[in-house]
Amino acid sequence: MEALLSLSNDLAGAVERAAPSIVAVHARRRLPSTGIHWRAGIVVTADHTVRMEDGITVEAADGRSRPAALVGRDPGSDLAVLRVADLDTAPAALGDDGALRVGHMVLALGYGPRASWGVISALGPRWRTWRGAEIDRLVRLDLVLYPGFSGGPLVDAAGRVVGLNTSGLARESRLALPVTTVARVTDELLRKGHVARAYLGIGMQPVRLPEPLRAALGLPGDGGLIVVMVEPDGPAARAGLLLGDVLVALDGAPTGDLEDVQAQLGAERIGTTVTALVLRAGARTEVRITVGERPRRGAS
Amino acid sequence: MSAVLTAEPTVEPLAAAAAAMAAELARVTVEVRGRGRGAGEAAVGAGVIWHPDGLILTNAHVAHRDVTVVLADGRACGARLVARDPRRDLAALVVDATGLPAAEIGDSGALRVGELVLAVGNPLGLVRALSAGLVHAVGPRAIHADLRLAPGNSGGPLADARGRVVGLNAMIVGGLAVAVPSREAQRFVREQLRG
Repeated sequence: MEALLSLSNDLAGAVERAAPSIVAVHARRRLPSTGIHWRAGIVVTADHTVRMEDGITVEAADGRSRPAALVGRDPGSDLAVLRVADLDTAPAALGDDGALRVGHMVLALGYGPRASWGVISALGPRWRTWRGAEIDRLVRLDLVLYPGFSGGPLVDAAGRVVGLNTSGLARESRLALPVTTVARVTDELLRKGHVARAYLGIGMQPVRLPEPLRAALGLPGDGGLIVVMVEPDGPAARAGLLLGDVLVALDGAPTGDLEDVQAQLGAERIGTTVTALVLRAGARTEVRITVGERPRRGAS
Repeated sequence: MSAVLTAEPTVEPLAAAAAAMAAELARVTVEVRGRGRGAGEAAVGAGVIWHPDGLILTNAHVAHRDVTVVLADGRACGARLVARDPRRDLAALVVDATGLPAAEIGDSGALRVGELVLAVGNPLGLVRALSAGLVHAVGPRAIHADLRLAPGNSGGPLADARGRVVGLNAMIVGGLAVAVPSREAQRFVREQLRG
């Protein structure tokens, strides 16, 4: 039975090593969420659990409550960064999310500390959230994220933080933001207060293009995106894009689905001009759009 | 500390140890059945053999009156309800037997968050099924475990990685297993049966 005992001790040890860097974040009514003391005076948590901008408090592992200032938030990656003065508990020891393998034992931790046990159920390449943020790798978990666990650390068997758990990015499955992404987004939020995302101000749906039309007009792909919503006074509206236009290419690259558009629209494109090839009334039209920046939630 | 389960040879002894412990725990776990409404009554819960001379502990919500218990060797015995405390959700049963395989009782006060725990019971009619998980949080009146239970686990043992019983499974709350700590159970036995 020695093997079981030593595993048990290792798991309890992992919780104890990570526990000092775990905080409770009081930024919504009722249940607090969990946060990670990321580096001296900086706490990261899941953005969807931050429901107020003022009066946020953070309760550290030493049991003391401290006021926290919201430095920045990125709903796209579901990350919020708080600054907490006088937070003298130890920040998290970070692990390497690149070393994770499917089947590795991991722990999700909540303030308290409270623990949930499971395995890495799937790993995948770079992906984009439904709100447009790029996540460096997909980390899917087979474990239970109990109420209040969002924003807390995903910890490896050695007690190192390898991710930030959230239920805010997928309805059905439990995911972690890898520490690589947390570090990148946190740095950007500390620098600028928000993460800039390129923005056209249109809603689109994929459509198939009939073969005769493609042939007649020399269209690049077999699909396009029909514009179903145009944000008034948005970048696309100002450029003259109309409801019902079918976007078939951006700067010459075919746009068969929304991913193709997002791939063309990194933050570096903000302020530059893209040429949209659209189908309007059965004919090719080119529209030059000056890429805008996605408006922030709550910003006037 | 070295990372757990990265070195290949540790996995097999782990599986063997878990299987041995499951068998050991099953020996000290009884099925608790209702009594008097026909012989084919299904298990309503589980219990832990606390003393070789026939003392069995279970939940108060499992034992409202005298019941039948089924031992791991298949023997069915009539059990007398000798003490019951609904507030702590504990009940003591006595069967007329000696030399029973009694559980080794651990100290629930020494549990650490993250420790492995195992539960044995009769969830959904399965007899002496094992669940494994870990300690989620510890309080004076309850142990919360990240472990899957089902109705029928009630009154059965929650054991640590040494196989010592640290609690009696009592409830499922928000997906978490909630167990009465062994310290509470020992206090109950002292107060009710020796006082």
